[in-house]
Amino acid sequence: MKRLPLEYAVRNLARSPLRLVLSVVGSALVVLLVFAAAAFARGMEHSLRASGSSSTVIVLGAGSEESIERSEIGSSVASLIAASVRGIRTRAGVSYVSAEVHVQLPVFLAGPATPEGDERHPPEDSEDAPLTLVRGFTPSAFLVHPQVQIVEGAMPRVGYDEVMVGTLSATKLGVAPDELAIGRRLWLAEKLWTITGRFAAPATVMEAELWAPLTDLKLATTRETDSCVLVALDTAEFADIDAFCKQRLDLELAAMPESEYYSKLGEFYAPVRAVVWITAALIGLGGLFGGLNTMYAAFASRVRELAMLQCLGYSRPALIVSLVQESVLATAAGGLLGAAIGLLLLDGVAVRFSMGAFGLRADAAALSLSLGAAFALGLFGALPPAWRCLRLPIPEALKTG
Amino acid sequence: MTQAPINGQAEGGLEPIIRCRGLTRTYIKGDNTITPLAELDLDVARGEFIALMGPSGSGKTTLLNLVAGIDKPTSGSLRVGGVELADVSPSRLAAFRSEYIGYVFQLYNLVPVLTAYENVELPLLLHRLSGRERHQRVATALQLVGLADRHDHFPRQLSGGQEQRVAIARAIVTDPRIIVADEPTGDLDKESAAAVMALLEQLTAEMGKTIVMVTHDPKSAAHASRVLHLEKGRLVVQDERFATLAGA
Ligand SMILES: Nc1ncnc2c1ncn2[C@@H]1O[C@H](COP(=O)(O)OP(=O)(O)O)[C@@H](O)[C@H]1O
Ligand SMILES: [Mg+2]
Repeated sequence: MKRLPLEYAVRNLARSPLRLVLSVVGSALVVLLVFAAAAFARGMEHSLRASGSSSTVIVLGAGSEESIERSEIGSSVASLIAASVRGIRTRAGVSYVSAEVHVQLPVFLAGPATPEGDERHPPEDSEDAPLTLVRGFTPSAFLVHPQVQIVEGAMPRVGYDEVMVGTLSATKLGVAPDELAIGRRLWLAEKLWTITGRFAAPATVMEAELWAPLTDLKLATTRETDSCVLVALDTAEFADIDAFCKQRLDLELAAMPESEYYSKLGEFYAPVRAVVWITAALIGLGGLFGGLNTMYAAFASRVRELAMLQCLGYSRPALIVSLVQESVLATAAGGLLGAAIGLLLLDGVAVRFSMGAFGLRADAAALSLSLGAAFALGLFGALPPAWRCLRLPIPEALKTG
Repeated sequence: MTQAPINGQAEGGLEPIIRCRGLTRTYIKGDNTITPLAELDLDVARGEFIALMGPSGSGKTTLLNLVAGIDKPTSGSLRVGGVELADVSPSRLAAFRSEYIGYVFQLYNLVPVLTAYENVELPLLLHRLSGRERHQRVATALQLVGLADRHDHFPRQLSGGQEQRVAIARAIVTDPRIIVADEPTGDLDKESAAAVMALLEQLTAEMGKTIVMVTHDPKSAAHASRVLHLEKGRLVVQDERFATLAGA
């Protein structure tokens, strides 16, 4: 098939500058939204995937497998497991076994310490206080969560009501980052805590949490039980931990690979991602209909010219290719614009979410998906109008205005 | 029913470049059948310049479109350059147009976003030519129509007469055997019309092109070697020089 030169499509774009601007801006918007949706879904998936390791096992209360926060287990479980199961990872005689408390608590900011002394009570209106996940931890936590790194300040000391904050916890709480600066204080469980450090745990749910020493947190929340125990495996297998839980019926335990826990959590949020995708698809569809209209107007004014080109010997498919080129050029330009804006504005942006917070991921997959959307917009926005405008027999088309 | 061809040149053994036998085109619109062309017999020899005249709606454009291969006969036979067009597939028909036909329209139909040069080049892009050769041909065609100095002008920068001359350059640039022109002077003032007619006449006289031209203007028709009159889809009178009745 002999085609029209690309130049022809390019020149045709300039026929109506307004229409060109409309197409470019329209597709840029659609692409930006698709990009945002993809970055959201990718960010969420990534955060859940990176949070769980398959060689780490969570032991929690039987019947609470769905939610660590609802789980309660005896505070001796950690040492029992460390003593009973062989093949747990150890280093310098320390077992990779971490007893933890996970609890959602309202947080009140209290500002920096003042010489006049502290306020004695937290604010009353606890209804409005943002909830956040507070994790009670021991130094072993760093063994089973190797992603966690203190990036500023120091680890909280036991017995001083100190906490450290994740790098995304300000986003999660919806406050400015310096409200959670080192030295600031906050009310948790009717106690005043001082922030001593900030930790990163890239792309995991932990980044949105507050971490406090296990014993201090249990004291403040007047609980005696732990939420869970995390165990990093060496030569042992999941089955060994599972067997321990099943033998010690008195402890009422259940075991689950950490990766499975987070993938279940991911399934729980699948509808959220679906809504995001559907919204993006609807916006894309809206863009497509807008594009169909624009392109139809563009092509309909050229019916006679298209008939003339057929008189010269150009085939209908060749003309369709040219019209599609024209449309794709416009949407691709818009797509690049939208993607550039997306890369500049979206990547890494923290999103607050009931589960915690995570960063948008404007990665190659999200990028190619959104550029693919631009291409599809150009292609499917042009095909039906091109078809319609080429449907007339040539003699009739030559008679049109 | 088929009677002796209107033109005797076929008897020389050389097939006429256009040969219609019982050529009929009908349109069915609801319950109505319109027959713009009925049982037409016509031979056109190589190098003839035919003027098609007749009242509006008499089927002139229909005949022209059939000859140009942009419409298909309902029945009868139409051979152009030895090819039976009734049997040709749409894609072969497009190739046929590209090779045999140059079309000149009443409203020029230049592409507004292309320069005169690029407009003339358009049909050549369908031919296997080197860039040099293509440039040569476009330049020659524009020279022939007297617009060698207007290569870079866009249609909106040209007068109607100049636009039509660019369109003629576009029609001849592929060196087709047949040029069809549908009221090529219909939109032009007298002087431009005369220039266009002189140009068409030159194409037959000097280059041996066969031309079939629809016109309402007797002055334009006077440039033709033969004038045909259509009425209600039938040829009525050949021009005075032959004064033969066709049909009834
Ligand atoms: N596509 C069509 N559908 C129906 N009727 C048509 C069509 N094209 C032409 N006609 C009819 O055929 C007749 C001849 O048309 P045409 O060949 O264009 O006449 P003219 O001699 O004015 O060029 C007219 O009556 C016209 O209405
Ligand atoms: Mg007509």
